[in-house]
Amino acid sequence: MMHRRSFLSVCAATLVACSKAAKIRLALNWKPDPQFGGFYAAPYDKHGLDVEILPGGAGTPTVQMIGARSTEFGIVSADELVVARSGGNDVVALFAVFQNCPQGIMAHASRHLASISDVLKEGTLAIQRGLPYARILEKKYGFDHVKVVPSPGGDISAFLRDEKFAQQCFVMSEPLQARHAGVDVKVFPVSDIGYNPYTTVLATSAAQLKSDPDRAKTMVAAVREGWRAYLNEPAPTNTKMHDLNPSMDSAAFAEVAEAQKPFIETGELGSMTAERWTTLIGQLAELGDIPQAMPAQDCFRNL
Amino acid sequence: MDLSIEAGEFLAVLGPSGCGKSTLLRMIARLSVTNGGRIVTEPEQFQTAFVFQDAHLLPWRTVLDNAALPLELMGAGREERYTKARAMLAQVGLAEAETRYPAQLSGGMRMRVSLARALVTEPRLLLMDEPFAALDEITRFHLEVQLRDLWQRRGMTVIFVTHSISEAAFLANRAVVMTRRRGGIKLDRRIDLPAQRTNDLRSDARLGHEMRLLMGAMEEE
Amino acid sequence: MKKLLPPLIPFVVITLALEWMVRSGFLPRYLVPAPSAVLRALVDSRDELAAAMVKTSAAALIGFALSTLTGVAIAVILSSSRAIQRSFYPYAVFFQTVPIIAIAPLLVIWFGYGMKTVIASAFIVSIFPVIANTLTGLLSTDPALRDLFQLYGASATVTLVKLRFPAALPQILTGLRVASGLAVIGAIVGEFIGGQGLGSVVDVARTQQRVDKVFAAVLLASVLGLALFGLINLISALTLRRWHASEATME
Repeated sequence: MMHRRSFLSVCAATLVACSKAAKIRLALNWKPDPQFGGFYAAPYDKHGLDVEILPGGAGTPTVQMIGARSTEFGIVSADELVVARSGGNDVVALFAVFQNCPQGIMAHASRHLASISDVLKEGTLAIQRGLPYARILEKKYGFDHVKVVPSPGGDISAFLRDEKFAQQCFVMSEPLQARHAGVDVKVFPVSDIGYNPYTTVLATSAAQLKSDPDRAKTMVAAVREGWRAYLNEPAPTNTKMHDLNPSMDSAAFAEVAEAQKPFIETGELGSMTAERWTTLIGQLAELGDIPQAMPAQDCFRNL
Repeated sequence: MDLSIEAGEFLAVLGPSGCGKSTLLRMIARLSVTNGGRIVTEPEQFQTAFVFQDAHLLPWRTVLDNAALPLELMGAGREERYTKARAMLAQVGLAEAETRYPAQLSGGMRMRVSLARALVTEPRLLLMDEPFAALDEITRFHLEVQLRDLWQRRGMTVIFVTHSISEAAFLANRAVVMTRRRGGIKLDRRIDLPAQRTNDLRSDARLGHEMRLLMGAMEEE
Repeated sequence: MKKLLPPLIPFVVITLALEWMVRSGFLPRYLVPAPSAVLRALVDSRDELAAAMVKTSAAALIGFALSTLTGVAIAVILSSSRAIQRSFYPYAVFFQTVPIIAIAPLLVIWFGYGMKTVIASAFIVSIFPVIANTLTGLLSTDPALRDLFQLYGASATVTLVKLRFPAALPQILTGLRVASGLAVIGAIVGEFIGGQGLGSVVDVARTQQRVDKVFAAVLLASVLGLALFGLINLISALTLRRWHASEATME
């Protein structure tokens, strides 16, 4: 496909060419917390990279930012990357932090629910309706008996107040908060329904990759080292992140950093397989989020 | 200042800007309080009316409703106040305009409505604060004649503040010139002109004589 | 027709320009949707968008009506005494400065997920211009007219009803013009948190990277805002027609 240079990329490319040791931006899709630990721990200087990490929040459009050249690297989820590619945004995945998707649905343990479909039988479910797994759930089980409301984004106060309130969560984050607040929870990982995209994925634009492949390679190397260091010794990086994000206390940082390990350390840090991408692409095509399947190889590089 | 006004007088009050002419008027109307002085009236209470420099009509009301306003505020019934308002509007020559709105009237017409409104309660005292200052000369001349006519027919007392020497001389039977500061009176004069005054008087030498006297008192400071 | 043509021309020009820029690749279609794509989204999702628009309209209208009634009432009370004004006006300013995004989650706690939260949000965002403009209108009554009313012994209530309030009408309507658009914005924000209506459509479409649908919903929200604005203008023309410089003509 002839990729015609967009007006924006012409401007950006000119700017990049003009500045020498250009600053590299890494845009996060949430506030600094343990899911980004390795990125904050990475020894960029040692590898000759000048990296600025841009913290995000609710709705930070990282995949569009990469496409618009307002950031060189960004953190995205695998499914939003596939959808972006189908819309003409040529982004490529380089490093997947979470080998297994840590998304899930949490409910009060007192409800004694057996499976994820039970959550949908009554009460309220707070979920981002636009997410693929939300629509897979709707397609499979229907939302007729549950009241679906927008996800409160990390805030569990509504969950604590109402026993029949269930909400989407990061398996090692909100449930821990709930337990600390005295509510015992049952967590249903999204992967239970067979949906398991790579999550917290480092991505860049195909154009960047083409124009400076060495820089991308160096970036991935630094990031891999960072994750290794963070998994071994999270404390110093947690302190750094806590300063940037005081809304989560130090104890929680430590706890989550520990609880997230099984999702990360499954083999070689960050590497991805074509098979996983192919499965994901198939699921999204079936959902109708993308008009047709695309080659898995286009979506990622193991550098 | 020490000023005594007889019932039925047409008193013009002249003076430079800032001498307190308007304040005096407001105090007489009991809209402002005196400090260290008294306003004594005989009788104590009676109907007073005030006409301002601009017509100050309520723009969302018709001419009729505007003219009837004082009676409405005093609690009069619809029929009564409309009858009286209509009569007053006829007196100032606006009988045809009663359903119109102020925005549709000329400056002179609006002032006439204001006049009708002032007279609708049949006041014994009419206070006027430079009411014709914003109007063109021909309209002024006509309104001045009309005002004197109304005054003569009703027998009310009029206190008329003005900047205009010719207006004061033409309208009043007594003129008072105030000093620049401390509200004193420089001149208190009975205007020596016939009781019937028409626009012909404007080119009369006698008017010029009165004006010269008043001007002299104004210019002295 | 003469009134419609001038604003129509730039609209047509810009739409055609945008269409060309996206089709030729100048603007990436995942960042800016082509007008034709927006149109297609409007047609394809018309049922969903229509239902959403009804919900948002209802919430915005109710919120706006409430802020009109409450705002005018508050302004009347504030205008009655300098002491009351000085004590309580700063709290009215609070409505202007509070970031609705920040307190919307609180609204959900108080009003739950649904219409009430959306209405509350529309109310909070739109009430201040009503208070501010009504207050200004009530306080700037012609002093000569106030004197006139005082001269004829009118009570404070009579003066308020027959003089100060009608005199303040143009100013009040100005406040309502501003508040109407804000009510729509408030409703949309409330819907982001409370979940329904056009705000919800925008939120879900954004997650799905459907910029065309986002723009379609935003377009409908603008139409809603314009409709409310037009409604106020109509009311203004009808009520002020005969007497205010802004609407009247000399016959």
